[in-house]
Amino acid sequence: MNIDEEKLISKKEVLEETGISYGQLYRWKRKGLIPESWFVRRSTFTGQETFFPRDKIIERIEQIKEMKGKRPLDDLAEMITEKVNEKLQIAFDRLQELDWLDESILRVFDIDKEEKRPLSIKEALCLGAVSCVRGSTRGEERDLLKRTLEVALERNDLLDRIPDEALRLYLLRKRLSGGGISAEVSLAAVTGPGAIFDPDIQLVETVDLGEVLERIKLDLGKEPGTKSDTEDEDER
Amino acid sequence: MNDKRNSASISGAGTISGGTYSRVSISGAGKVTGDIVADELRISGAGKVAGRAEVQEIVTSGSAAFASDVIADEMRVSGSARVDGQARVKELKCSGTFKVEKGVAAEYVKVSGSLRAGEDVEAEIFKASGGFRIEGLLTADKIEIKLGGRCYAKEIGGERIDVRRGGWREKGILLDGLVKLFAGGGTAALETKQIEGDEVSLEDTEAEVVRGKKVEIGPGCRIGRVEYSESLKVASDAVVKERVKV
Repeated sequence: MNIDEEKLISKKEVLEETGISYGQLYRWKRKGLIPESWFVRRSTFTGQETFFPRDKIIERIEQIKEMKGKRPLDDLAEMITEKVNEKLQIAFDRLQELDWLDESILRVFDIDKEEKRPLSIKEALCLGAVSCVRGSTRGEERDLLKRTLEVALERNDLLDRIPDEALRLYLLRKRLSGGGISAEVSLAAVTGPGAIFDPDIQLVETVDLGEVLERIKLDLGKEPGTKSDTEDEDER
Repeated sequence: MNDKRNSASISGAGTISGGTYSRVSISGAGKVTGDIVADELRISGAGKVAGRAEVQEIVTSGSAAFASDVIADEMRVSGSARVDGQARVKELKCSGTFKVEKGVAAEYVKVSGSLRAGEDVEAEIFKASGGFRIEGLLTADKIEIKLGGRCYAKEIGGERIDVRRGGWREKGILLDGLVKLFAGGGTAALETKQIEGDEVSLEDTEAEVVRGKKVEIGPGCRIGRVEYSESLKVASDAVVKERVKV
């Protein structure tokens, strides 16, 4: 966990140092201005306490204090965080343009080409990530990666954590042998860049989920009719 | 927006497909088989939505079940309703039993029945006179709880937090005893790990830690540790193990 290595500051100290109130801190948390992943809960001798990565939280609060008079809080969230609008819908045609869909991917995702159903941002993320590794993986591995991401995305805060913690999708293989028989197992994981695996594991693929998300936000989100605030300027 | 919106109504037993509607009403036993977008959804019998519901006004008085997320401007639950996703509702009024598998994000929440949430409950104003069980954080600018049942939230945080004894408690020991007897020994009280707010005033609350600027620990409270920065008042029959001015 890379957050452990950073300097932490307790909530009390944050309030003291920045002069904000509990009310403000909780309000900003609700508005998504302070990401869930920054709240680090620790047991101390005085009971449960919440800590934050020091530099990040102080900088963010100063930023909010400076901007909050000028704009409504709801707008701020989209401006100063790398928040992804979860309601964003991705038009099917866009995915085709990006060359993300070939037969093998369609099969894994059980997508009907003719239906042209728009995808949610989470679906698009799964699809994009799996599509990045389709050249070097086996069919059942793509299915494993997809299921792993889907489980990860069931957590509400995962989309926020991707940029915060630089989360990656890993595909690993391990050969097991004994008694003249050998077999290879495939493993998948979603974790930050500091993950360490056992020495016998072969790292097959790493997908930077932040990059995939970025691509979705920038290239795919721009379809007419969505309320995304990315400017539509590529009328080429 | 789509101009050709239809209304649909089930009054016996029936099924309607998902889609965009103006008004959907289920008064018998009915099911919407997919995602639904509508201005109005009324369920007074047994109704089920198999997909996501994005509706301006939802009124349920029978038993309603939503298999996915519910997004609404206004939702009134007076029977029993269950959401197997999250509920993003601007104004939520619950006089029946409402169970949400994930979190609740709202502007205004009023609970006079009972509310259960598997994750956080967020609002600008949260008022409760019934009971609730919130497995995550309860947070709002203003939290007003009039204890009318067993209340639990893992953590509570906001600007003003006010917890008062419910009406029946004031009527005396006899009624208190009776309620205890019938409720299996449980009284109307709030239980939580941690409360943090600028102005916190509590009664009949059990908490490990209370942190705030101005803190009042009223009758019936059992608090492990109070950390306050401006003022602290503790009622004579309240138990506070540790008090710290920070």
